[in-house]
Amino acid sequence: MFKNYLLVAYRNLVRHKSFSLINISGLALGITACLLIGLFVHDELQFDKNVPDGERIYRVYTQQTKTDAPETFAPVAPMFATTLKQEFPEVEQTMRILMQNSVNLLEVGDKKIYVGDDLMVDSTFFDVFQLPFKYGSAAKALNAPTSIVLTEEVARNFFGDENPIGKEIKVDKSTFNVTGVLENSLDKFHLKVNFIVPLAAAELPAERMKKWGWQQFFTYVKLRPGADAKQTQAKLRAYLNDKVQPTLPPDEKLTSVPVLQPLHQIHLYSSNFKYDSSVKGNITYVKALSLIAVFILLIAGFNFVNLATAKSMQRAKEVGVRKTIGASQQQLMLQFLSETVLLTLASVVLAAVFTSLLLPALNAFTGKTMEFDLLANPALLGVLVLLTVVVGLVAGFYPALVLSSFKPVKVLKSAVVTDGIFGRVQWLRHGLIVVQFALSVFLIICALVVFGQVSYLHNKELGFNREQIMFFPMRGQNMNQQHEAFKNELKQVPGVVSASIGYGFPGDQVAGDGIIVPANGERKDHPVTQLMVDYDYIKTLGLQLVAGRDFSKELTTDKDHAFIINETAVKELGFGTPQQALGKTVEWEVWNDRNPDSLKVGKVIGVVKDFHYKSLYDKLEPAVLQIFPDAYWKVAVKMRADNLGSSVDGVKQVWAKFSPESPIEYKFLDDNFEEMYRAEDKLNTLLWVFTGIAIFVGCLGLFGLATYAAERRKKEIGIRKVLGADVSTIVGLLSKEFLKLVLVAAIIAFPVAWYVMHEWLQDFAYRIDMPLWAFVVAAVAAGTVAFLTVSYQAVRAATANPIKNLRAE
Amino acid sequence: MIKIENLEKIYRTDEVQTKALNNVSLAVNEGEFVAIMGPSGCGKSTLLNIIGLLDEPDGGSFRFGSTEVAHVSERQRSKLRKEHIGFVFQSFNLIDELTVAENVELPLIYLGMGAAERKQRVEQVLEKMKIMHRRNHFPQQLSGGQQQRVAVARAVVNSPKLILADEPTGNLDSRNGNEVMELLTELNEAGTTIVMVTHSEHDARYAHRVIRLLDGEVVLENVQQPFTV
Ligand SMILES: Nc1ncnc2c1ncn2[C@@H]1O[C@H](COP(=O)(O)OP(=O)(O)O)[C@@H](O)[C@H]1O
Ligand SMILES: [Mg+2]
Repeated sequence: MFKNYLLVAYRNLVRHKSFSLINISGLALGITACLLIGLFVHDELQFDKNVPDGERIYRVYTQQTKTDAPETFAPVAPMFATTLKQEFPEVEQTMRILMQNSVNLLEVGDKKIYVGDDLMVDSTFFDVFQLPFKYGSAAKALNAPTSIVLTEEVARNFFGDENPIGKEIKVDKSTFNVTGVLENSLDKFHLKVNFIVPLAAAELPAERMKKWGWQQFFTYVKLRPGADAKQTQAKLRAYLNDKVQPTLPPDEKLTSVPVLQPLHQIHLYSSNFKYDSSVKGNITYVKALSLIAVFILLIAGFNFVNLATAKSMQRAKEVGVRKTIGASQQQLMLQFLSETVLLTLASVVLAAVFTSLLLPALNAFTGKTMEFDLLANPALLGVLVLLTVVVGLVAGFYPALVLSSFKPVKVLKSAVVTDGIFGRVQWLRHGLIVVQFALSVFLIICALVVFGQVSYLHNKELGFNREQIMFFPMRGQNMNQQHEAFKNELKQVPGVVSASIGYGFPGDQVAGDGIIVPANGERKDHPVTQLMVDYDYIKTLGLQLVAGRDFSKELTTDKDHAFIINETAVKELGFGTPQQALGKTVEWEVWNDRNPDSLKVGKVIGVVKDFHYKSLYDKLEPAVLQIFPDAYWKVAVKMRADNLGSSVDGVKQVWAKFSPESPIEYKFLDDNFEEMYRAEDKLNTLLWVFTGIAIFVGCLGLFGLATYAAERRKKEIGIRKVLGADVSTIVGLLSKEFLKLVLVAAIIAFPVAWYVMHEWLQDFAYRIDMPLWAFVVAAVAAGTVAFLTVSYQAVRAATANPIKNLRAE
Repeated sequence: MIKIENLEKIYRTDEVQTKALNNVSLAVNEGEFVAIMGPSGCGKSTLLNIIGLLDEPDGGSFRFGSTEVAHVSERQRSKLRKEHIGFVFQSFNLIDELTVAENVELPLIYLGMGAAERKQRVEQVLEKMKIMHRRNHFPQQLSGGQQQRVAVARAVVNSPKLILADEPTGNLDSRNGNEVMELLTELNEAGTTIVMVTHSEHDARYAHRVIRLLDGEVVLENVQQPFTV
């Protein structure tokens, strides 16, 4: 019996080749998209799942309570860990990682390589994260201040395949001893690690480690089994309120509350955290992609249902015959269901092939190392089998029901079946097409809006000139001490327009600190961004002065008694207009460990137009520019566009003169900005790809349906032509039906798309207005594609010789 | 074998009601060969479909053997159909995706017969219908006469007690038509009851008896001598 079903199914597939092709390839494409997205989402959800006791590990972060839009900081003050360990019995262990952003020069013998992503950690690091060791062991790995644990990759770079335990390695000229090598299994760990050294190596003053206001440590706690993190969090907040807050001086009161974040949420649920250096995903994008996968599968599945029911007319006779001979409805249901399952199976097999072909591209695009190996992963095979059965049964159920319920008397009698059930099928088919197009229109709108916002991010006038600016940190004592000479030589390089040394360049780290405005006998402290600059900063970046003047070397007071502020600062500090701000007195507590009381008092000498030194996620903040050579660290070199290559070479030569022992590590400033929006860029690309797939799959189905519509109405078209209808009338006749559906779909999709995109745009401090043209374009595009698809068949039907069709009856 | 009394069948569409059968009573005995005749639209097919348990009457009684079957369940009907009734249609109604042999085999599959026995039965019947050499062809590759012979083969393969034929020669030329009538006669002589709808007086002469319908009512039943060439 089953053999007979399969036989008929197979022959049907072969006989109706184009139908089968449309059905199988559409579904295969849909399933491929789903599989790729599924692999990606699964991979994102796998982060930190391998860490032993992961469900007991939490990260402590803080949430600002003062500002209206609460800000979330990943690092916290050192005392959090100390207190949690000492005062909370349910805490098994705590561990801190120093927040830093350095690239270190590692040296073994002659081999010198810059390596970033080092962790300076409490010696309890491996108690909390029990990472597997290849050489050495966790127990004593971080005991001495000169201990260093390498990852397998870094170890291989310096020591090849030999066991490096006990060997020496220099980190920025200080000597460390290798005490362990980690196994290469950290690709789904939320921390980027190349090597680990004990916090002791940083030689932080003991006094600072007792601070509640120094938010500099990523802090983790491992709770004892059975402990309730919510309770611990509540207790910690109460403790801070009752025991800590009263002991703090008025200007050091805590303005934030701590939160315990489960380890498994760090990767996906921290996208808006400030100063977070963990490997971040974005749950919004994961959810969006999952939703798109479901959409595509729905569209492909609906095709299946639609085409199968449309085709059922052709199979009505077969049903009638089988029933006459004695087949029961159940037997027929089973027959048709096994056909759809077979068809689905073919699609799934094809999709598996597509997926393994496309996965390398996705891996390259996402920087992941996902695998699609059915033999090695039985669970994956299970998913595919499940997918086959579920999609096959769900998509096949209704057509099978329709087909198997045909009354033999009726279908055997007439060539054209005009039963009541076809009215219902028509309804369903139209409903499904509307949903398909609504999903497509929705996706097109989203893709357009995201595209608009991403272009905006990349092209918005940032208030400074970011092109052709070479950017690097200074290295070595010599270069730091002679930075003035270094800069002068840089300026001599042919093609270099100007050079600036400072701390606080756009797209790079900036420092936040208070600025004091004395007024009416009070000294009000305002939090601002401090940009530590030199006399060439404004010129190099092309900032615009809206009032006053730039710093000048000729005026000796500019070094210690002058400030330039931005327009936002004019407002926030209460100066009224830029012009009025000039000459106002401000004070700053100088960064200086040795003499914490020293105060820099000066006047506002200029106001610069606001410029975006951070990403457009962040609102412009008040910023203060001042000359402060102690903080100089980064170098920006503005070049002419022509001969960029030789200018860069020139800069390298100057570098080699001042810092021969360390190679230069440079970027271009605009790259910093491009990097900020990488997540959006990727979302943008993925959206277009998957929207394209969704539309294509939807059109495949429409094409199939149009084929049937034309087929079904062959005779009608023939008669109309004999009566004198021209081709365009007939094309219009056939297309009108579908275009109406697209219109309904657009009307459904518009409000949903508007809402979703409105929400997404809220994440950006600087965003485009909801582009209404996107809605028009989406509807027109969907309509055009639908029209072209349908009219191909319509034109064919309309231009066919009418006599032939009439005789065929 | 068949006893029908006061049978009614009404088709209802949105606008009109058609009384396709009105107060029809008739009986067919085991071993009989009955022809049903009448002008187009008089209800012949309707009557045959009800006899074949493909359709339900709106009134009256219908006894098939000793059971009342006017209103039995679909499951029961399909069981009776596959065990006792074979159908031959004007338009052959072969399944295009199945070969000759597979078409003929189909009723046996639904009966749940084993593969070996099926094969034997199919070959026997194909042999008898002189269509064995075309067993692996598809219906579209056969002439009309050949297709109808396959249809007859399919109708008789499970040795039904009753064969129902709706204008079996309607789509055939006279030579092929006669061949099919000959086949039916042979089956009848071997003991199978046959009820056949036809337009043709010629074909009707193969039957023992003719029932004439007009506008859904029986107007005449006459017994006649078997036709001899
Ligand atoms: N499914 C149906 N719906 C409505 N009317 C029908 C249907 N089938 C048959 N009829 C009507 O019932 C009458 C008898 O039809 P039928 O039995 O097919 O006639 P015959 O086979 O004698 O030509 C006709 O008037 C026909 O139009
Ligand atoms: Mg008829």
